[in-house]
Amino acid sequence: MSASPGTLLHCRGLRIGYHGVPLLPAIDLEIGPGELWAVIGRNGCGKTTWLRTALGLMPAVSGRIETGPDVKMSYLPQRNVIDELYPLLARDVVRMGLLRGWSFLRPSVRIEPPSVRQALSDMGVGALGDVPYRRLSEGQKQRVLFARLAVSGANIALLDEPTSAMDPVAEAEAFALLDGLRHRQGLAIVVVSHYLGMVRRYADRALLLDRDTQAVVVGPPDEVFEHEAFHRRFSERPPPAAEVDDER
Amino acid sequence: MSADGGLFSEGEFEEAFGDDHPDTSAPPPVAAPSAPQAATPRASPIAFVAQPEKAPTWAEFSEGWALGLYRDPVFVGVFSGLVLGLLGVYVVLRRAVFVTAAVTQAAGLGVALAFLLGIQLELDIPPVVGALVTSLLATVVLGVRTDRLRLPRETLVGLTYLAASALAVLVGDRITQDSHDVSAILFGTAVLVRPGDLTLVATVGSLVVLLLLVMHRGFLFAGFDPESARVHRLPVSLLDLALWVLIAVQASVSTRAIGALPVFAFAVLPAMAALALAQRVRLALALAAVFGATAGGLGYLFAFFLEFPVGASQAVVATLLLLIALPVARVRGR
Repeated sequence: MSASPGTLLHCRGLRIGYHGVPLLPAIDLEIGPGELWAVIGRNGCGKTTWLRTALGLMPAVSGRIETGPDVKMSYLPQRNVIDELYPLLARDVVRMGLLRGWSFLRPSVRIEPPSVRQALSDMGVGALGDVPYRRLSEGQKQRVLFARLAVSGANIALLDEPTSAMDPVAEAEAFALLDGLRHRQGLAIVVVSHYLGMVRRYADRALLLDRDTQAVVVGPPDEVFEHEAFHRRFSERPPPAAEVDDER
Repeated sequence: MSADGGLFSEGEFEEAFGDDHPDTSAPPPVAAPSAPQAATPRASPIAFVAQPEKAPTWAEFSEGWALGLYRDPVFVGVFSGLVLGLLGVYVVLRRAVFVTAAVTQAAGLGVALAFLLGIQLELDIPPVVGALVTSLLATVVLGVRTDRLRLPRETLVGLTYLAASALAVLVGDRITQDSHDVSAILFGTAVLVRPGDLTLVATVGSLVVLLLLVMHRGFLFAGFDPESARVHRLPVSLLDLALWVLIAVQASVSTRAIGALPVFAFAVLPAMAALALAQRVRLALALAAVFGATAGGLGYLFAFFLEFPVGASQAVVATLLLLIALPVARVRGR
């Protein structure tokens, strides 16, 4: 079913869970073009389950997920889902982003599309295109995967803890890259993150999930950080914005 | 009568080679029922044509090659090694080595069943069709979802492998009574193959390679990052199925021609060597094809001149190539 014009992804009374048993109360939200959403919550609170349900990778317990016309999604799963046994160069990984549907059947273009090189360059890893992906540092790997998002032609990208293996500086740089990506390409970005300082700085909207207290809070980060459910689970005071790198 | 103790059914050898061939009508060495491998024919004609007084010579090989006796099995080995080597890269990358073992064993069972049905019920089922049916059946079993059974996927692989192996031995027991030797199917001899085998292996192999080339990028994305591939709407489940069907089809025709052991070896060892050396999938595919073809061809020569069973020799050559590749890869710092 299609969402209303101007909406890329619309969750209507969406209940997520396993084997028909909901984890959380119903979730209602609308994601528009160019928005940056942060999904926050403690480990095991349902963040990844919501993300995978919204992507259609697992069934919803109830409710609906509607996408706008011509919506193309991309995804960056948690690190352990990607199989690093594959001997691929960084640019091979970026080129995968060009594939959609049955396009893999088309004869391979021998000349590399300029977008691949450009995307690597935009992500600050232009010199690493010919380096085996598995030899890159965690930060470099994520930049390559961001480049894959950039070439994918998607208008909404969902990322599951993309900065989990990074130090605070690399994490801040990664958020800046994602912010640049959405501004350049109008890409809506939904990112699961524990890095609340950066969420406060970059995110337009936040989705707080907490399975233990059955809390679902949607709103601008400042409002979510003031919410009682946030204080119960995280801290007595909201995280300071931006530069604070170690506030998790 | 069977020319080599199992690869040829009644009358096939005469139909294939007519009367203009070395005298291969002597019975193969008699094996005790408890040791079927002992009956596995040797590559050298001396082993089953005459009493082996001296090592086979190049002249003897050339003579047999000129008659067409050895050319076809060598080419069947080379083609099978090449195609299965290519397939093996995807198999090893999917961490599904023993899926190939189970499918290959099922193909061996199919060949044996086709012989048995022909003998017992006089049903004219081509062995390669039997292999195809049982190997595809194995892929269906392997595709059953195990999460609801609370069992790991490996258990299905084990079940398929064990069931196919045990049934093949039971079926082989009945076939042996009719002068066939199921060890030829399970362990591989390829001393001689029927002319039709080369055509079949080459035709099916070419189609498999073509389909691999067409679907290559899909296989890579679906294996490297399956969830993102699904989000990009690639038919990931269909690609998985296609890969196993390609393996089943190639394993069927190759198992009928050269036996299950070399087929399994070709589908695993060349790919291991190639992946140890290569830093790109394309190079790994090329190396695996070369290693597989080399193991198929050299393995035959190795068996001929040293008078070893062919299938095991081809597997050993593939192993040697791997043992060379591993230290080379280590020295290169991979």
